[in-house]
Amino acid sequence: MSAAGPSRGAYPVRGTSKSGARGDPAAPLLDIDRVGMTYVGGGLFRRSAVRAVDHVSLRLEAGEPEIFAVIGESGSGKTTLARMILNLATPTDGTIRFLGADVTRIRTNRDRMAFMRQVQPIFQNPFEAFNPLKRIDRYLFVSARRFAGARGRVDIEVTADKALHQVGLSLAEVKGRFPHELSGGQLQRIAIARALISAPSLIVADEPVSMVDASLRMSIVNLFKALRDELQVSIIYITHDLATAYYISDRVLIMQRGKAVESGNARAVLDNPQHPYSILLKNAVLSPDDAGRPMPPAGAAQDSSGIPVSNEE
Amino acid sequence: MIAAIQSSAVNAAPATERVLTVDNLRAYYQTRYFGIEREVRAVDGVTLHVDRNEVYGLAGESSCGKTTLIKTIVRAIRPPLNVVGGSVTFNFAGRDCDIYALNQSDLENIRWRHLSYILQGSMNVLNPVRRVQQSFVDFAYRHIGQPMPAFLKLIEAHLHRVRLEPTVLDAYPHELSGGMRQRVTIALASVCRPDFIIADEPTTALDVVVQKDVLSMLRDVQREIRSSMILVTHDIGVHANVSDRLGIMYAGRLAEEGRTVDVIRNPVHPYTSHLVTSLPRIGDLTQKRGLEGAPPNLADPPAGCRFHPRCPLAIEICRAEHPPMVDLAPGHRVACWVTAPPIKPGALQ
Amino acid sequence: MLTIFRDLFHYNREFRIGALLTGFIVFFAALSLVSPYPPQDVYVVPPDLPPSLTYWFGTTSRGQDVFWQLTFAIRNTMLFGFAVALLSRLLSIAIGMWSGYKGGIVDRVLMSINDTFIVIPLFPLLVLFYFVMRDKMSWPLLALAMACLGWAYDARLIRSVAMSLKNREFTQQSVFSGMRTSEIVLQEHLPYVLPIVFYTTMNNMNWSIGLEVTLSVLGFTNIDTPTIGVMIYWANQHTAMVAGIWWWIFFPVLFVIILFIGLFLLAISMNEYIDPRSRLARMGGMRG
Repeated sequence: MSAAGPSRGAYPVRGTSKSGARGDPAAPLLDIDRVGMTYVGGGLFRRSAVRAVDHVSLRLEAGEPEIFAVIGESGSGKTTLARMILNLATPTDGTIRFLGADVTRIRTNRDRMAFMRQVQPIFQNPFEAFNPLKRIDRYLFVSARRFAGARGRVDIEVTADKALHQVGLSLAEVKGRFPHELSGGQLQRIAIARALISAPSLIVADEPVSMVDASLRMSIVNLFKALRDELQVSIIYITHDLATAYYISDRVLIMQRGKAVESGNARAVLDNPQHPYSILLKNAVLSPDDAGRPMPPAGAAQDSSGIPVSNEE
Repeated sequence: MIAAIQSSAVNAAPATERVLTVDNLRAYYQTRYFGIEREVRAVDGVTLHVDRNEVYGLAGESSCGKTTLIKTIVRAIRPPLNVVGGSVTFNFAGRDCDIYALNQSDLENIRWRHLSYILQGSMNVLNPVRRVQQSFVDFAYRHIGQPMPAFLKLIEAHLHRVRLEPTVLDAYPHELSGGMRQRVTIALASVCRPDFIIADEPTTALDVVVQKDVLSMLRDVQREIRSSMILVTHDIGVHANVSDRLGIMYAGRLAEEGRTVDVIRNPVHPYTSHLVTSLPRIGDLTQKRGLEGAPPNLADPPAGCRFHPRCPLAIEICRAEHPPMVDLAPGHRVACWVTAPPIKPGALQ
Repeated sequence: MLTIFRDLFHYNREFRIGALLTGFIVFFAALSLVSPYPPQDVYVVPPDLPPSLTYWFGTTSRGQDVFWQLTFAIRNTMLFGFAVALLSRLLSIAIGMWSGYKGGIVDRVLMSINDTFIVIPLFPLLVLFYFVMRDKMSWPLLALAMACLGWAYDARLIRSVAMSLKNREFTQQSVFSGMRTSEIVLQEHLPYVLPIVFYTTMNNMNWSIGLEVTLSVLGFTNIDTPTIGVMIYWANQHTAMVAGIWWWIFFPVLFVIILFIGLFLLAISMNEYIDPRSRLARMGGMRG
């Protein structure tokens, strides 16, 4: 259960230490408690409700950095969940607390900045993540100014350079370039570097490598591992790829149509899934190791009642 | 001067019937925009062949040229993309035909009847404002050549064979789910029992569970009508399950080609080995590595072997000359100076 | 910036023609600075003379040289159009971008106001304005009035661009980089909006010139200052067509048509090729 502490409306202003300075020191890093999102559609006479996220709970402890994978297909609600954690969408029920403070209560600009300092996103499409008309170092410099407190040209550039070194690049390679001049892998690394400038305690990565070329993919995935191990950053890693989740995550949560279907230690769940949907998902994975073995015959995947179990319709 | 025993697969008398022969195909984007000329060598000397009842997989990353290769093979290209050299020869109904020598009406007769395609976005094929049945009529009616009632019966029988409900005919495309639509697209592409089907990333946008279903259907359909297929996808897992032979493309050229099981279990070209071994697998906790650098810009590719800037095995000649395709074993060709050096004439094997 | 114009001039025919036509008109308008006759004086030359070597465009029934009158007329008309376009751009951009980015109640309120302005019949309103203002009517006042009426169409256009930009991932990236809303709107989004703004500026100029000519021809503006419309007004007052003084109407109409076409060509050519070199660079590296 979420640790006790005075319930605050506002998020603590200075939270530079990983375990939350002004927040309750015993508070978990991220506490998602039976959170749900209902989209109401339809017109004046007929309303339809879609449960995009339905009673999902998870909890990350402060001071114990880990990679937590949220696995699901399209329509599973994983992206909606990510948006709620980042405070880009407000849950219709349940609470999300970051370091003890309710995320939806963030109102003032100062609170928002303090929150963003701690929680940063990595987006799926590296080519869309930056404005194609602007130089890419711009985002690094603004982050350095606003989050790292850098003042003056030299200070800002040094901060940006340090962050880029953490991801295996340097400011010299990146300065003055436009997004179209760089590859997907480099762009994604720069996005990670930018996110690291504020020294966040939590990074929410939404399918960060699905649009990166296969030969560049593992460097980025390994980078996330290094963020956890060397920089003590916890990562919520949203993906549909079970193999990558198996490779880097500590715990996983499998979602189907908004509901949490199975969760636990990554290796345990993925080596030996229990829930029918998890089993279905694992069996559907096409691995290079299948080469030479005949493919099973076609037939829609069904559960015992004959109803297709996939996320379709 | 090294006289290489180059891959002679193209000239050997085929044991099985050869349906597609691509010979040293080169297709470049040639643009002249605001006084700046640019030539992007999207396909730069590709030679391959596909036999009857065979699925040839084409793998590669973005900007490797595989989609351009496909478009060039079916002659779906327009300036500024031009064929600069080489040839594409199909064998339809026992007759050879150079697709670039056909006139427009012959081309239209061939399309769909002998050569059809399945694209990534099913909405690119199915007309969104017409019912599915209409799409079947639009594409296939003129080729089947039967009166309408008989034609419709034929369609229903075909759908039944591929395990699709006939009710799907009355639906509009947007009323069907993504996987359903893709299945309809496959049914549509196979209804005329073409000699050749091109599938370009047919399941990439679909969920994992649906993907497996759709690929099974694709495989079954192909086996049943005994058509040949080129399956283009970057997903090696898909190739492992569906393709009989696999060609790895890098920067507009083929790096390695062979039976899928050979290429995946025993990759020779450094790029292929990296591609295959760097994929994470469930149950496998070994450390994986990424490759340095990035796929080259095809407007300004590196000299010599295009992979050499990123290759851990690169030697002097790799930087200067492009390696020829060498037969390592029957049906397994590799283009690499280091792992598949061409053999000098007179030297012992 | 200059390289952009130079490239456009070399390679884009519409831009070349548009620039030449508009440039010609601007040059012609600049000649008004050296006019031998003050614009409002009448009977300074013999009236009703057809075009000849001394009076290139002929003279009017009021004893004015059509050539020199035209330099003033086209200058005033152009300046007027430009002023209206500029003022209404400021309004469209501000309202469109704010409404698009903020969304919610702000968007709904602003768009209701916007749609009201679109629906209002402009012409009767301006006529009413004239009748109310009467002698206090002046060109700056009219420009202001028209600017306040001419922003609505384009505000919606800009709003839709702003809305689509808000949903793009780089906007979120900017937010999480710590940029303030004003910075995001002005620095990240405005470059996307500017090409549309250029296009709508030319359009708006054409619209305001057309409206001004209409009002002036009917006498609903200050008819002492020469503009294209006012010239035609006076020509009608003196029944020029009936009297056979065709050159009094022909040349103003010809010049305003040249101006229209020039502005239009500039608009459509710039719309497509706002930055050729970066478009070219973006073309590099085929995918797949």
